[in-house]
Amino acid sequence: MRMGFGGWDVSVLNRAFKGEKRIPHPAKEAGIRDDRFGNAGELMGSPVLSSSGQAGCRRYLVAGFALVVAWLSCGSAVRAQKLQMPAHEKVVLKNGLTVLLLEKRSVPMVSVAGIVKAGGLADPAGQEGLASTTAGLLRKGTKTRTAQQFAGDIDFIGGTFEADAGADYSSFAAEFLSKDTAKGLELVSDALLHPTFPQAEMDKLLAQAVDGVKAAKDSARDVIFQYYEGYLYNGKGYGRPTGGDENSLKKIQRDAIVKFYDSYYTPGNTILAVTGDFNPAEMKKKIEETFGAWPGKAAPAVKVEAASPTKGKRLLLVNKGDATQTYFVIGNLGISATDPDRVAIEVVNTVFGSRFTSLLNEALRVESGLSYGATSFFSLQKEPGPFAMYSFTRNETTGKAIEMALEVLKKLHTNGITAEQLSSAKSYIKGQFPPTMETSGQLARLIVRHEFLGLDDNEVNQFEQRIDGVTPEMAKQVIAKHFPLENLTFVLAGKSSEIAPMVKKFAEKMDEKEISAPGFWAGAK
Amino acid sequence: MSRVAFKGKSMKNGWDRRVALLVLLAGLVCVCRTSGQEYPVATKTLKNGMKILVQTDHSIPNVALYTFYRVGSRNERPGTTGLSHFFEHMMFNGAKKYGPGELDKTMESNGGSNNAYTTRNVTVYQDWFPRSALELIFDIEGDRIRDLSFDPKKIESERGVVASERRSSVDGQNEGVLDEQLWATAFIAHPYQWPVVGWMSDIEHWTMEDLKHHFEMGYSPSNATMVISGDVTPEEVFALAEKYLEPIPSHAPPPPVTTTEPEQSGERRLVVRKQAELPLLMIAYHVPQTNNPDFYALNVMRSILFQGESSRMYQRLVDKDQIALDVESESDNAFDPTLLLFLAQPKQGVDPAACEKAIYEEVERLQSAPVADRELEKAKNFRLAEFYRQVRTINGRANTLGTYEVFFGDYRKLFDAAKNYSAVTKEDVQRVAKQYFGAKNRTVATLVPENEEKGKP
Repeated sequence: MRMGFGGWDVSVLNRAFKGEKRIPHPAKEAGIRDDRFGNAGELMGSPVLSSSGQAGCRRYLVAGFALVVAWLSCGSAVRAQKLQMPAHEKVVLKNGLTVLLLEKRSVPMVSVAGIVKAGGLADPAGQEGLASTTAGLLRKGTKTRTAQQFAGDIDFIGGTFEADAGADYSSFAAEFLSKDTAKGLELVSDALLHPTFPQAEMDKLLAQAVDGVKAAKDSARDVIFQYYEGYLYNGKGYGRPTGGDENSLKKIQRDAIVKFYDSYYTPGNTILAVTGDFNPAEMKKKIEETFGAWPGKAAPAVKVEAASPTKGKRLLLVNKGDATQTYFVIGNLGISATDPDRVAIEVVNTVFGSRFTSLLNEALRVESGLSYGATSFFSLQKEPGPFAMYSFTRNETTGKAIEMALEVLKKLHTNGITAEQLSSAKSYIKGQFPPTMETSGQLARLIVRHEFLGLDDNEVNQFEQRIDGVTPEMAKQVIAKHFPLENLTFVLAGKSSEIAPMVKKFAEKMDEKEISAPGFWAGAK
Repeated sequence: MSRVAFKGKSMKNGWDRRVALLVLLAGLVCVCRTSGQEYPVATKTLKNGMKILVQTDHSIPNVALYTFYRVGSRNERPGTTGLSHFFEHMMFNGAKKYGPGELDKTMESNGGSNNAYTTRNVTVYQDWFPRSALELIFDIEGDRIRDLSFDPKKIESERGVVASERRSSVDGQNEGVLDEQLWATAFIAHPYQWPVVGWMSDIEHWTMEDLKHHFEMGYSPSNATMVISGDVTPEEVFALAEKYLEPIPSHAPPPPVTTTEPEQSGERRLVVRKQAELPLLMIAYHVPQTNNPDFYALNVMRSILFQGESSRMYQRLVDKDQIALDVESESDNAFDPTLLLFLAQPKQGVDPAACEKAIYEEVERLQSAPVADRELEKAKNFRLAEFYRQVRTINGRANTLGTYEVFFGDYRKLFDAAKNYSAVTKEDVQRVAKQYFGAKNRTVATLVPENEEKGKP
């Protein structure tokens, strides 16, 4: 087992060993988990990597992809076949803090998940990683604890506390045994309300983050989505690295961190979900005692630049000189987490690229043996996130594999999907759904995310009927509208000298970058 | 595999958490009132020798089914390394009733999904499905255990898949490359020396005969344990097992692995030079197999050294000296004496030797003075919380129970473990630190970036 600063890794054994049958989801490869199996500390939208197979030092490198499967990471079903969101309560404290309480008595643990409504999108230009660094420093010194004391206290109760930022928001998550509830809540509030951002801790964290970016670049699959997002959004909006890069992290000053915290970390700008083994009335009282004194004030709104789909075909080739395999991502702008077409897209994408028998995996893996796997996904965030097809193959077959992926996409348009495929995808989605909301940690992240996005319990309660309601006609429309054929962005990471001649033909425009060069893609010069 | 073995979580986690449970049962359940949920297990051994464990949980209408085969890369030989893992892939590529591609299609269209993993010791198949698919899953599992077919075309395409997997998980990852070399150096006799995924030249050359032989060797029902957790009753599971699995004849299990690794009598060192942004350091120590009584003390020691940001190694290398980005410890469940690994990711520009020196100093500190009471208690609290994280899902429980059953010989060893775990003393921690973590017993692997000067385009 790994013991690092992730401590609590989930040991989802299917991702554990040499020799899994299948490719993990690419977003998982980038360190993002869809949490199907109930891992504890992952943060919504801005997963912290330390629990995944990656070294903890790579936590800053996550592309902000959430899976289509993950946005639905609800499910439920207490005994009955009917999925139902467990009862939960919403309370707004006098200072404006939104509190969500959900009692779940399966194991004697309490889970906390919170969102502060400002993330990487609020980073000043050139200081990417500011939100992420601010979050990372919450536990690195408070008015009453040094970083070491905080670590000692949370570790002593076997608890976890993690915080990071995605593009849309900053988030934190904690977990502890219910017998330690008072201590656990006190630690969460200490980090959230009383951080002091010591200079020495900041210097340490930023130095680690810079090296973390470099370490991640030693593995093309760990950074391919960073480049993809950067290139797709041309270095703006979701195309800015929320974890920062080698340049931006060096520009972050303590003053900016303090200002970010003072502006955005306010009770009115925060949603706090507490789930698990407790009596809700008692918990409400404890929360009021612990968080009620947090002074409220208005937080500025985060301005978001609207993105639009890219036109034509464009390709970025990231050179990794020692690569024996090419990683590639192809796609364009996708949809937001609240897009009305999201359910139909989920069904169609299941057929197309998000399960083992998907059209993409059948072609690139099962029938041809070109790759360990191929997949596709829509990253669901507040604003339209990327749609991506993803696979990898050895240098010599790079051209062939990309052609094949494009062929599968074309066939999706010309052949559509059959009634049988539609029905199979619906069964699959419904059958895999309940374990996504099995644990209190999953539920905490789910309800806090719903609250942030303005989604309601019908995401769960009407889940099955919405899936069942997807008609062949809807599928057809969704394919035409959301699976781009002509306008495509390609990002490849591999050995340029061998693959460039093969891949030039895919796009009208080809950009190139060395993987070891600082940054990902910050926009055309 | 998604991660290189070294990076991946191993079953040890499962243990860790289960061990913690014991502490719970021993002392905490009483204060946790209704929360102290128990997980009763029903068992049955079929006439062909396959053992079935059933743990009922109706909280979601789903089921996790794990089948553990006691066969892994330790049962291979030079020339066919990686065969267990390749075979694992072939178990999805067609049998008599469910032909090539039909297993996955049928399972997914009935709401199920699957995966599998292979280690040096075991090959494990996993199914996750709604309870409505229960009988279908038994039909599928029976079909492939009884009548697996070997289509020459599938063998060739799957060979490409596994080669791609190897490139992605080993060759393209610094940890993967270094880990592979480390095991190959630390073991000179025992089969743990080769990688689970196999050497590339072996992947390219194994034959259909090799596969058939592997099936005959490893896949007797008597060599398997099946664990089912979720929305089922033992009665219905046992009835299905009798119908679909019991008629499958048993045969001889894999021949015992008789090679014993000779005691290491001096430090071994290796260097890998490759294009890389950062160096990497891994140190391996020979430790006993999983069912050895020192298992518990070793885990406590690892917690004190590596678990959490207050751990000794993190405090020393990451926080105080600031020479590493991360420090970790890894180990895997094993039938035979195995390795316990320490890893450090040095910061850029830091000589791995500096990390190595700091690690040894921390080991020496552990050897020379007993740990604090609070450190010991912290380690136990960690494991308690981890245990709950492991057993709070049907998936975690299926895996946990199976791991105990397979590696400790009996899932009920859980209860012995509780006792053994809470019995670990400061003296035990000090003793294992001295016994296993000396210079003579270690292998040190360093990855040195070859292109440190180039970097910029």
